[in-house]
Amino acid sequence: MALRNAVTAQTPSPAPLRRSWLTVAWTLMRLSAILLVPLVWGHVLIQDMLVGVHKISLDYVAMRWASLGWRAYDAGLLCFAFAHGSNGLRQVLEDYIHGRTARRVLRTLIFLFWLSLTALGAAAVIGGVRQ
Amino acid sequence: MQSLIKFTYASTHYRPREGMIAFLLHRISGLAVLLFLSLHIVDTSLVYFFPQSYGGAIALYRLPGFMLAEIALMAGVIYHGLNGFRIALFDLVLPSAWTIQRERLSVRLTILLAAILWLPAGIIMGGNFIGYTFLGWH
Repeated sequence: MALRNAVTAQTPSPAPLRRSWLTVAWTLMRLSAILLVPLVWGHVLIQDMLVGVHKISLDYVAMRWASLGWRAYDAGLLCFAFAHGSNGLRQVLEDYIHGRTARRVLRTLIFLFWLSLTALGAAAVIGGVRQ
Repeated sequence: MQSLIKFTYASTHYRPREGMIAFLLHRISGLAVLLFLSLHIVDTSLVYFFPQSYGGAIALYRLPGFMLAEIALMAGVIYHGLNGFRIALFDLVLPSAWTIQRERLSVRLTILLAAILWLPAGIIMGGNFIGYTFLGWH
């Protein structure tokens, strides 16, 4: 019975979820996804297709970041896309790594990876182009 | 490691249906996009930390191999976004509407739509690739 419910997802009244941080992460993956589709697609449409990598230079970044709106857009990308990606990497690796200690090490490493690159990106978005 | 070996064995000895194909493509495209994003955060941070090196870093993306990878990356970004929408739709909005038939149909539609959306990107960026690599554009 339980198996059939799991497969058809037709449980009439699902048991309440115990909300751990994993449940929160699960929900955030889906909510950030909805936000990321317009953010990321807009970004690649403009930068990769309409502008193209051959026209991107220090001056181009300086011009773009002269507008606070584009800086906010890029800050949004940095916050949501990279957090979504880092948590996704954790999910993928935890499918293959089950040990308690191994998972603790993995989570710490991914957290430090996320923190350091987010700090690096944030410094650039806030500090802007130094000329 | 044991489970990774088992997974690799199962993946190559089992003919996947739509759900597993969607799952595998989501995983591969997600990891590829994350790899590029990590690189891209580092190269963009050069504008603040080492502005004189930024041009050199961007020049790497203009290499033919990187340009082809960029076109593949677009396919990954489009598919991952569409499939993410599909997952969020069934998980958050309409969990009771999920059936195996709809799962299979929705995966086929997702892949079809991703291919259609990727086509203009492939044409424009493919044109750039040919122009800059073989026709001497600069």
